[in-house]
Amino acid sequence: MEASAARAFRRLAFVTTGVTYFLIFLGGLVRVSGAGMGCPDWPKCYGLWIPPTDVSQLPPAYDPAAFNPVLTWIEYINRLFGVLTGFFIFATLAVAVKNFRKHPQVLYPSIAAFVLVAFQGWLGKVVVKTDLNPFIVTLHLVLALIIVSILIYITQQAYFLENPKAESASLYPSQSSRLAAALWGLGMLQLAFGTQVREKLEWISRAFPLMSEADWVEKIGNIGHLHGAVGIALTATTWVIGYSILRKSDNASPFVVKAVFAVMGLSLAEVVIGLSLVFIGVPAVMQIFHQWTASLYIGLTFALYSALRFGEQRAPVADSSTLRSPVVETS
Amino acid sequence: MEIKDLRKTLLVFSAAVFGITALAVLTIQFADLSRKEIPIYAAVPAFQFQDQDGNPFTEKNLRGKITVLDFFFTRCPSACPVMSKQLEELYKLYASSDKVQFVSITVDPQHDTPDVLRDYAKDHSVVDDRWKFLRGSIQDVITLSEKGCLLPAENLPAGHSTKFVLIDQDAQIRGYFASGEPASLSVLKSNIRELARPLIAQTASTK
Repeated sequence: MEASAARAFRRLAFVTTGVTYFLIFLGGLVRVSGAGMGCPDWPKCYGLWIPPTDVSQLPPAYDPAAFNPVLTWIEYINRLFGVLTGFFIFATLAVAVKNFRKHPQVLYPSIAAFVLVAFQGWLGKVVVKTDLNPFIVTLHLVLALIIVSILIYITQQAYFLENPKAESASLYPSQSSRLAAALWGLGMLQLAFGTQVREKLEWISRAFPLMSEADWVEKIGNIGHLHGAVGIALTATTWVIGYSILRKSDNASPFVVKAVFAVMGLSLAEVVIGLSLVFIGVPAVMQIFHQWTASLYIGLTFALYSALRFGEQRAPVADSSTLRSPVVETS
Repeated sequence: MEIKDLRKTLLVFSAAVFGITALAVLTIQFADLSRKEIPIYAAVPAFQFQDQDGNPFTEKNLRGKITVLDFFFTRCPSACPVMSKQLEELYKLYASSDKVQFVSITVDPQHDTPDVLRDYAKDHSVVDDRWKFLRGSIQDVITLSEKGCLLPAENLPAGHSTKFVLIDQDAQIRGYFASGEPASLSVLKSNIRELARPLIAQTASTK
């Protein structure tokens, strides 16, 4: 009973995580397509719940010159999807309260995710009110990543409730979870540098509105070099740590194997995309993928950390050779 | 992992990447195209005014530059201080380019003599030729406002329009923007960039 409830909950949390990732993608799309001010007000758009599609439907209080139906709807779809995501997170909380009240490892993060997503909605309003202040935009992204990390954690804890023996047959090299945590930390740091680059680019583009994109990129300076160097170092580190986990583990779980391969792939892809941004001149679609790949990397390193840690906590029980040896023999 | 599973995973993954890329590219393209569509309202007709230094200023001075134009008067108590403050910010923002100019036309020429306009310019930190303050006969001003810029000019001086008029390098009106509205000013700036693109390319190629 418990296991089937946990499975249903794990599936819900997984879908919620996916929906949230898609929302992060849409948010990036709003930014690079320049649709952030597509709706000048919040939560309504041009004073309406269903925004206008033509300038003739515009309420008289608004300046027709500022109205662009394409940008308006890009922004509004992002908001609608945000509301949908809010519902998913609320459903996750509701199920956690109903079925897992006695499991603080899923209850508390579910509460946190719900509170943070409500705050995130409000922060969306501040983004519009401050006319896309780059700092607030950064905060909006960072909070999204924290929320998605919490959702990943909930999904995993639900999986472990469903399969209490998961990871108990696996033995990972010592310090594995710490190394994964270090990758997550470095990933976050690198993301912070990345947001600084983007913020700087945004301020430069505002201060020098008539310069070409290539000149803007040239003006970024040291933070750009730092971001590039740390990115390459982080990829190398990811590959070294990933390789060592794969090689030195005994019977690593399929999740850990896939997650390690995925973070190695993502880190490499991220460097390639990053270099293309510098050398091809920041094509908009690449900007979204750069940010999205980073978001996936951060989410996955977090999941990897939490799986390895769960495995380490189970390891002493498994290590008494009763659980491990048969598995080792069959492998 | 079995080969079949791997194949399925790869297929789903490729489809997802393709779908998401297509969605992103299409959205960005749509947004870019929608921004490039800047309507042409009318060509600015011939006019002849004088700037704050007494030099003639005609529609020919609009050619080859992007112009932001407004109607104002120096004694104006409410709207004009806000408008002029915003123009001052724009004037400073585009300081590095002589391809963007600002033109403020007084609707109170009797009071706003060249001396008064010069002082007004000084009060708004004008140090070069990029912001001109023009005066002409009141009838010419009304004609330019109503017939040229398609903006109301009743009960002057107080009844002047508070819109900023965006004019391209061929002296054609490309937009009207409500002063005091951040969203409008944001579009004004992005339209200036769009219109100035060919001019920037020219400057870059002659460097």
